[in-house]
Amino acid sequence: MKPAPFEYHAPETVADVVGLLAEHGDDAKPLAGGQSLVPLLAMRLTRFEHIVDLNRVDELFGVSLDNGGISIGAMTRQAAVETDTAVADRVPLLHLATPHIGHFQIRNRGTIGGSIAHADPASEYPAVMLALDGVAEIASASGFREAPAAEFFESTFMTAVAPDELLVALRFSAWDQPAGFAFDEIARRSGDFALAGAAVGIGTDAAGRINRAAVGMLGVGPTPLRASSVEAALMGLATSDADPAEIGRLAAEDMDPIGDVHASVEYRRRAGSTLVGRVLANALAQVNTEAGNG
Amino acid sequence: MSQTAAAARYVGQSVKRLEDPRLVTGHGRYVDDIVLPGMLHAAFGRSDLARATITRLDTSAAEALDGVHAVYTGADLNSYNDSLRASLHPPESPAPPANMLADGDVRFVGDPYVMVVAQSRYIAEDALDLVEVEFEPLDPVVDYETAAESDHHVHPELGGNLAHDLPVPNPATDEAFANAAYTITETWHQHRQTNVPMETRGIVASWQPHAGVMEVWASTQSPHELQLVGARVLGIGEHKMVVHFGDVGGGFGQKMFLGREDMAVLVVAKLLGSPVKWIEDRRENLLASNHARIEQMTVKMAVGEDGSFLAADLDQLEDDGAYPLGGPATPGAMATMLYPGPYRMGPVSWRARTVYTNTCGRGAYRGPWQMESVAREQMIDRVAREIGMDPLELRRRNVLTPDDLPYQVSTGLLYETTISPKQTLEQAAEMIGYDEFRAEQAQAREEGRYLGLGMALYIEPTSMGMGPLGTESAMLRVEVDGHVNVFMGTGSHGQSLETTMAQLVADELGVRPEDVTLHQGHGSGYGFGTGGSRSAVIAGSAARAAASGVREKVVAIAAHLMEASADDLEVGDGVISVKGTPAASMTMAQVAATAYQNSDALPPGTEAGLEHTARYKAPPTTHSNACHICTCELDPGTGKITLLRYVVSEDCGVLINPMVVDGQIAGGVVQGIGGVLYEHAVYDASGNPLASTFLDYLVPTAAEVPELECGHVVVPSDTPGGHKGTGEGGAIGAPPAVFNAVADALAPFGAYPNRQPLDPNAVLSLIASASDE
Amino acid sequence: MADQIPLSMTVNGQTRRGLGEARLTLADFLREQAHCTGVHLGCEHGVCGSCTVLMDGEAVRSCLLFAVQADGAGITTVEGLAPDDETLHPVQEAFRDCHGLQCGFCTPGFVVSVAAFLEANPDPSDEEIRHGISGNLCRCTGYQGIVAATRQAAAVMKGSGQS
Repeated sequence: MKPAPFEYHAPETVADVVGLLAEHGDDAKPLAGGQSLVPLLAMRLTRFEHIVDLNRVDELFGVSLDNGGISIGAMTRQAAVETDTAVADRVPLLHLATPHIGHFQIRNRGTIGGSIAHADPASEYPAVMLALDGVAEIASASGFREAPAAEFFESTFMTAVAPDELLVALRFSAWDQPAGFAFDEIARRSGDFALAGAAVGIGTDAAGRINRAAVGMLGVGPTPLRASSVEAALMGLATSDADPAEIGRLAAEDMDPIGDVHASVEYRRRAGSTLVGRVLANALAQVNTEAGNG
Repeated sequence: MSQTAAAARYVGQSVKRLEDPRLVTGHGRYVDDIVLPGMLHAAFGRSDLARATITRLDTSAAEALDGVHAVYTGADLNSYNDSLRASLHPPESPAPPANMLADGDVRFVGDPYVMVVAQSRYIAEDALDLVEVEFEPLDPVVDYETAAESDHHVHPELGGNLAHDLPVPNPATDEAFANAAYTITETWHQHRQTNVPMETRGIVASWQPHAGVMEVWASTQSPHELQLVGARVLGIGEHKMVVHFGDVGGGFGQKMFLGREDMAVLVVAKLLGSPVKWIEDRRENLLASNHARIEQMTVKMAVGEDGSFLAADLDQLEDDGAYPLGGPATPGAMATMLYPGPYRMGPVSWRARTVYTNTCGRGAYRGPWQMESVAREQMIDRVAREIGMDPLELRRRNVLTPDDLPYQVSTGLLYETTISPKQTLEQAAEMIGYDEFRAEQAQAREEGRYLGLGMALYIEPTSMGMGPLGTESAMLRVEVDGHVNVFMGTGSHGQSLETTMAQLVADELGVRPEDVTLHQGHGSGYGFGTGGSRSAVIAGSAARAAASGVREKVVAIAAHLMEASADDLEVGDGVISVKGTPAASMTMAQVAATAYQNSDALPPGTEAGLEHTARYKAPPTTHSNACHICTCELDPGTGKITLLRYVVSEDCGVLINPMVVDGQIAGGVVQGIGGVLYEHAVYDASGNPLASTFLDYLVPTAAEVPELECGHVVVPSDTPGGHKGTGEGGAIGAPPAVFNAVADALAPFGAYPNRQPLDPNAVLSLIASASDE
Repeated sequence: MADQIPLSMTVNGQTRRGLGEARLTLADFLREQAHCTGVHLGCEHGVCGSCTVLMDGEAVRSCLLFAVQADGAGITTVEGLAPDDETLHPVQEAFRDCHGLQCGFCTPGFVVSVAAFLEANPDPSDEEIRHGISGNLCRCTGYQGIVAATRQAAAVMKGSGQS
């Protein structure tokens, strides 16, 4: 199980990266943490004539404060996201989701940008990005552009990033209101891709009425999905009045599962909506705690 | 045995392993660590189709690639195929054509049809990409339940897909069924799993022309099987086949026999005259090494009003795949014969069939016939449920007690007096706190939580003493400096034999375990190797006898040199001393130096040197037994099963090294847990394997398994050390114990599982279909 | 054959130089050019953890890195953990004491992973241990001895201030 030959490039600036991508187009592939790409290369399930290694592009690394939110460089390791205090403070859902990604050895190399650009529908960050309306910053030889999460995930493993473009950063805004967040997933084993998972954020007004609901789902469709039926049902409810199990069941309507060797369509729908209810309950409990503390 | 034999000093102790310092520091020597001058690397091109005719095969572009030394197809190698049979497989019985490479057609996904030998594995794989091949797909035989009736034949040469059909009717069952209060029938299914040693298969072969010697390093459980079969394949004398044995990264049955690829490497190394290495990659290992446990058994049991087992009728069907590793053996026949297990079962009739399919071949996997325990223990829980009796009580009513022994089983087995199923059942029930758990379970159900308990009780025929399996030898030599070298036909690949054999020798000879070095492979006497839970009893008894022979001589020499009576001497930790007068002593090194270098000082008539060879012939079987009980919680929302506790009470007779015994059991148990809850080498209807990587074939991790609690009942066997085999037992008891626990947790929903795996998807659909009824 | 790239890295404290194609994995470089045969290949697709090494102090799968990516880095393999030829690292000692290995093939990856895990979590609970080591597969031990060894190593390393 050895990869096919390729030409290796190790640029040090984004400008050089996008130059290489412009030059080689479809024949080039950016290499981020490599935790998904290298196995595919090793099994010769995919091959590229040019591999453009991003690991020496310093400007792609790190978390910075951004207008009340944060901006995370695409090459920021998942392990760095996991321990970053600004992430934990301002985007708790990202912090809660990270330990569910693979294992610590994977997170030491894996990057947030790699995970989002790979767009595996069963992975964690894409669902969080979708739930939180994160924004992707994309560079190309012709300049920079932005893509909101809702337009980013086009289909399985396909995103708004064109072959000659590079995902350079992700932006998330903080929630400036009483809020609760929770993340969980069902996986066959510790560290496996999720059979189904949910990323939930609940925001309320001062009176404890839900005025913001963000429910992202993973593993239950060709892309990460929003549970918009659940979100709609939550709006305007007092957190104490919401029956999470009941509301969670609505998520089944928002799913478009694909069956595979690990779980059927029916399983993902049933267990996934149960899980949405449970994660919702946890998020609601967090809001109540915050309110109680306040 | 000498009257001066020391009391057990190291046997029974958890002696730290002698293997470990090199292994924990990365200095083990596995086959992939062997590098020879001019060594080339092999890679196999494998079929993507389950059944197809090869209509075109052009290797010219591959041959032209820089760094490629040779490309072989079936036509180049298959003339050697008359000699490929494993030693256990009788030459007269029908078998698939033993082609090293597919020739003309392919018969499963993964079937090798081309072999590239190149300067590196990277280049060999590049060359495989350049092989031009075209296939004409044929309808594959994938479903083993219908394979026997299929018009499509996996091996056209055999004229049908039925490999074996062994009916053993027993008219005595008719009366029992006629008089039974209950007749209960179920078909129990296991599913396709695979051994998954962490080190894949691999071999390095180096031919020495003129000497006519083939030197081999391999990942094997049985260096002598490799030697014998390799010599036959190459047409050379066994003495010309030199097998070096290093560290082996697990096998669980997979490395007992040579694969087609191993044989191809041997032949090609000779044809090319350059050393050739083949290291199987993980995808090849999951697709094309061997699969196991693809079987079902329909059980009909006659049960009396009081729960007594009156008779059983069994129908076993097993999938052999296309090319079963080690030949088309018949574990199904063993499974049916062993079905009565540790119970008074009454008469049993059975039929065992095996069929070929266009899938990866079946091979031995830890407890190859454990279907007997799977079917029986799951059936007993079902009977308990049907007749409204507690499953522990039902077992208590039928289990063999010491008063029943020895016991002649209706299927022909004879249990010796040294088995203890009743004792292990009671010990395990005590350990788990059976009654307390049932109370906790009832309480939990009121709270909407679903707990389950499953148990399994079994007897395992270990250390079988027939045919090529029957004996092992030990050649033991005390060297000039007093160190002990012992040469044995075993193939330790995780079983800790370097330590446990050293413990046996240390006690018997009177040295420390670290004074003993085990040598396996080249230079040892014939033995079948390590597998089948046989090394402790068979090899261990040989080691003990060899050490005993040398000890007598050591004592005689020391008595002569010290002018003492042999009866007054004791030997321990390499020192021979006069009892009660420790100052009067000499060392093993002094005795050895005398024996080799000052032989004139030996007692008159004593042969120079300090060595002895012994061969031990095992009795037909040495039975061990155990009881497994585990508890679980079922999440009805997600179908996820969490194991809560796992207890084992086992009787492997006298424990050589308790730490090692517990380790063997734990490893087997977790393989069983993996089999029932996680692992599935699944194919689609076209014969495409869907679990060809570790992302899809799910070996349990530490996070999925509970703490194992191990209890020991020690009834020594009648073999020299009182040991019984224990390598496979964990993997025999665990599957039915785990299955029964999940079935118990599912009972409140009215669900009746009868097949594995019980993954979350299966558990939720069992709940859903039960509530639909 | 494709271009050979010069490679240089510090492996277990020693400078190791070599040549390899861009596609040469770090695992293969360490095994074949740095004589670190304790780096074991159990799957070559990043799941089993047998090839785990420390790269600049972080545990990584060396089968998922190309050697060229580690050019200039500091690598520690299982061979580099023990202080000398006679003494074992506390994690190695604990694996021996607790029967945390049988065939030994997965052991180098476990030992390196556990050493890194305890560096970050010096006082783990049993549940944290089980999740912490769940990125490495063992087929022999049922993990019983490995969990116990991790517990023992944590206690020893805490006591001696090694973590």
